[in-house]
Amino acid sequence: MSRAFLPAWRFWLIVVVVAASFGAVWARLYYLQVTDAPNLAAYAADSRQRTQRLEARRGDITDLHGNLLATARPVIDLGVDPHALTEADVSKLPQLAEILKQPLNEVRSACADLWREDSNGHQRAVRWKKLATLTEGDYQRVLDLDFKAIYGNRRYERYYPANELAAHVVGYINKEGTPVMGVERYLDFYLEGQAGWRDIERDGRRRELAMFRQRDVMPTDGLTVQLTIDWVVQSMVEREIDKIVEKYNPEGVSIIVSDPRTGEIRAMGNYPKFDPNEFWEYPIENQRNRAVTDVYEPGSTFKIVAASGALEEGLVTPDTIIDCSKPVVEYRGRRIRMPNDDHALGEIPVSTVIAKSSNRGAATLGMMLGDQRMHDYAASFGFGTETGWGPAGEVGGILHDVKDWDGLTISRLPAGYAVSATPLQVHMAMSTIANDGVLMHPRVVHEIKDRNGNAIVEFTPRPRERVISDETARKVRAMLNRVVSTEGTARRAMIDGYTVAGKTGTSRKIVNGHYSHREHVGSFSGFFPVSDPQVVITVMVNNPRFPGIGYGGVVAAPAFQSLGEQLASYYAIPRDDEDESKRPGGLYVAQQMETVR
Amino acid sequence: MGLTRRFESHDVFRTTRNLFRASQAMQFDWVGPACILCLSLIGVAFIYSAHAFTGGDFWIKQLVWIVLGAGVYGVVSMIDYRFYMRNALWFYFAGLFLLLLIFTPLGLTREGATRWLNFVVLAYQPSEAAKVCTLIMVSTILATTRIGKISDSVRVLAIVFGLAGLPMFLIFLQPDLGSCLIIPPMVLALLYVSKLSIRFFLVGFALVVCMASILAFDLYSYAHALEKSGLSAQEFRGEYQSKSLVPLRDYQRERIMTFAAPEVVDPSGTGAAWNAIQAESAVGSGGLFGRGYANGQQARLGYLPRTVAHNDFIFAVFAEEQGFLGGMLVVGLFGVLLANGVRIAGQARDRFGMLLCVGVTVIFLIHVFVNIGMTIGLTPITGLPLPFVSYGGSFILSCCILQGIVQSVHRHHRLYE
Repeated sequence: MSRAFLPAWRFWLIVVVVAASFGAVWARLYYLQVTDAPNLAAYAADSRQRTQRLEARRGDITDLHGNLLATARPVIDLGVDPHALTEADVSKLPQLAEILKQPLNEVRSACADLWREDSNGHQRAVRWKKLATLTEGDYQRVLDLDFKAIYGNRRYERYYPANELAAHVVGYINKEGTPVMGVERYLDFYLEGQAGWRDIERDGRRRELAMFRQRDVMPTDGLTVQLTIDWVVQSMVEREIDKIVEKYNPEGVSIIVSDPRTGEIRAMGNYPKFDPNEFWEYPIENQRNRAVTDVYEPGSTFKIVAASGALEEGLVTPDTIIDCSKPVVEYRGRRIRMPNDDHALGEIPVSTVIAKSSNRGAATLGMMLGDQRMHDYAASFGFGTETGWGPAGEVGGILHDVKDWDGLTISRLPAGYAVSATPLQVHMAMSTIANDGVLMHPRVVHEIKDRNGNAIVEFTPRPRERVISDETARKVRAMLNRVVSTEGTARRAMIDGYTVAGKTGTSRKIVNGHYSHREHVGSFSGFFPVSDPQVVITVMVNNPRFPGIGYGGVVAAPAFQSLGEQLASYYAIPRDDEDESKRPGGLYVAQQMETVR
Repeated sequence: MGLTRRFESHDVFRTTRNLFRASQAMQFDWVGPACILCLSLIGVAFIYSAHAFTGGDFWIKQLVWIVLGAGVYGVVSMIDYRFYMRNALWFYFAGLFLLLLIFTPLGLTREGATRWLNFVVLAYQPSEAAKVCTLIMVSTILATTRIGKISDSVRVLAIVFGLAGLPMFLIFLQPDLGSCLIIPPMVLALLYVSKLSIRFFLVGFALVVCMASILAFDLYSYAHALEKSGLSAQEFRGEYQSKSLVPLRDYQRERIMTFAAPEVVDPSGTGAAWNAIQAESAVGSGGLFGRGYANGQQARLGYLPRTVAHNDFIFAVFAEEQGFLGGMLVVGLFGVLLANGVRIAGQARDRFGMLLCVGVTVIFLIHVFVNIGMTIGLTPITGLPLPFVSYGGSFILSCCILQGIVQSVHRHHRLYE
């Protein structure tokens, strides 16, 4: 600059200021674009890119005939961004409240909730507050109101159309999406499916940029699990449970219905119940599948073990006379006090021991077998080990090894004391008699299918062990047939037109370390028709509250009878009673055919 | 040369004719126009790029403005700059008149600020004209009077501050803090090259420090009130300004706070600090060589808001796509342009010409430094555009006028020896 106008120092000061400004810009640019560039580029990329999870649809659980027991239904979580709420939005809140069926005040206050406190106690803006969960139709009505700040997110919600029906078997998914129990948890691997994902880029307004979609992995939906449970049979069972509860107000009830030849469980119901759609409303003990988790001393139903063993070993025949009068007997050099019978029975044949449910008779049969064989037969019938039916939580009950027995065990075990078992174990033992002596693995899952109905995993009947010969089984069946007769303990289990076999059980509960005289477990386990067993039914009533002893023949047998009558017509089981003129089909028709030939 | 005509008449027709005659054989400075052309073309290209995704036609409008501006530049550069000195008052009043028109129904309000005059086909920002007119007025006063010690020139200083203060105040009312803040540095620079006592600047500096402390205190109590209210900065707008004695709008406080303490006004980085954060990451994403033309993501995807990408934040768009090297080019071009202005100021043959060139150079320096500075986080975000590069008709025109004046000073520098 001309020295005429400006002294040198003023000129250089200007140069320094300008140079400093440019220097600062250069330095800052260098820092941003060279030194810090990777971080800033990463920040920019990070705010664009998101990996979106594409939820898979969880597989359905159906009954044997395809009726839905558990399904995934699409729902919309409706929420509000309170900071984006416009005045037009606010003016439409009354209509919204109407659709949501919520009081207007609640909706208003939810929309006015602007701030929340995070875990560090800082104030945070509420970005989205859930208002309700809607169905597609209601959401469409909300969309029609054209809110700016109120919108929904779609997701699948687990829904149990059958509510309480078979809830203990099906199980449920908790609010975190974790399968908690039942088949939901047991077969989660097949049900859950495989979530997909999608790498997306979003623009400055958080809208997805479809053209920049990089990877798109579609989710694989979960498989459908078809249970062996039959909705109709299960409903019958649940109704019977309700009746028992109404009549006896018991602590618990379990009823199991299965096919003896395949081990397929057609129904398994318990009381107390719960609704998996609202599992949080029920105490946790209601969610227990008592048929497999609760053990009790089976009592007289266990007598089939001693009787079967003694017959199988050829120690007795059904007609062998057993002396049930001696209160004390000698066993292996020791004098053993025998259990009492309710009525003195004297000398009676083996079949009457079973029919009248004599404790002394059973003890005598057990002593004839001896400690080891008595134990081994009980173990063979499945006592002391889990049945392995599938879903977790099953217990195996207690069957002590012989070395752990005390002096009284041999006289108590044959009558079903000093052993504990689940209703399912008792049920499977009874099924063994019905199934010609072969113990089956109980099954609750029929098949796992893909969405097109193709079988992915098939479950076939699995025999576990031959416990007794079919000859012995037939003899035991005949004896059990006498139980369910006018002379036996379970005449209330008789089904008109059918021969029925079964065994009652009444055991005293242990209360405070002593056998109670007031609290009992009454049970009945049986099957029909005797000649060709089609269904096995076990009814267990825990602590029925009514005056007198809750004999299995009183509290449990009527449920068996009622169920049996319904099942006979549901499965169209041929009648097989003595009065052949009453037989509408089945054997009667077969005989007629023979006559013709 | 034989063309050393003097202007003795105020007759406009004769003046104009003489001007054109006089300019025929004069030297023309090519450095300035070359820089301007380069910057303008870069501007058009990246305005296109900034809106490549949405198909905006801003670049065509900008091209039209540049062609218009080139004509204005040519005309202004041919007019002898002493013409302005003789008619300084008229220019000054014309500038004030345009500013006052804002308060008539012609005033056009956008986003809460009345900064435009609505001329149906185009909207004009009178603050741009006022800048030029104030520069001419102040330069005229300082060229015709001698100042030195403060005591000798109190009257002149009072006149200068009064003349500069009036348009400043009117612009402040619009409100347009950015344009308003251009004027004080320009006036100070003119006083500085007029050899005003250095004591004045020391006193002025002390005053600035005082004002800065008052501002700091005001902002501190603003931040406190904001925190206490529990509202977001946006919702809080208008609450504090009604109580404070410092005449700032809350959104202006917000902007300063965004620079000084972003976590106070915008904890999540999605409000006031959004632009600053996104501009910085745009520049950073560019790296050394840039992402390539029309490949910048920040502007195209709307992370740099579309309303500002093509004007206030055009440098971010450019820096992302052309990287550090491209950024250097633009900064270098501005450096050459400004240095050229200083060179021409030094060659001017009278004080008025020198003062004009210094004033123009300071205006440009402020614009360049503040605009690029806000893009890269050196200065608070103000609405100051980048000369020739940012989109904006009024601004292109006033830039062309200012540079045209510099060219005129250059062309006529031999005439008044």
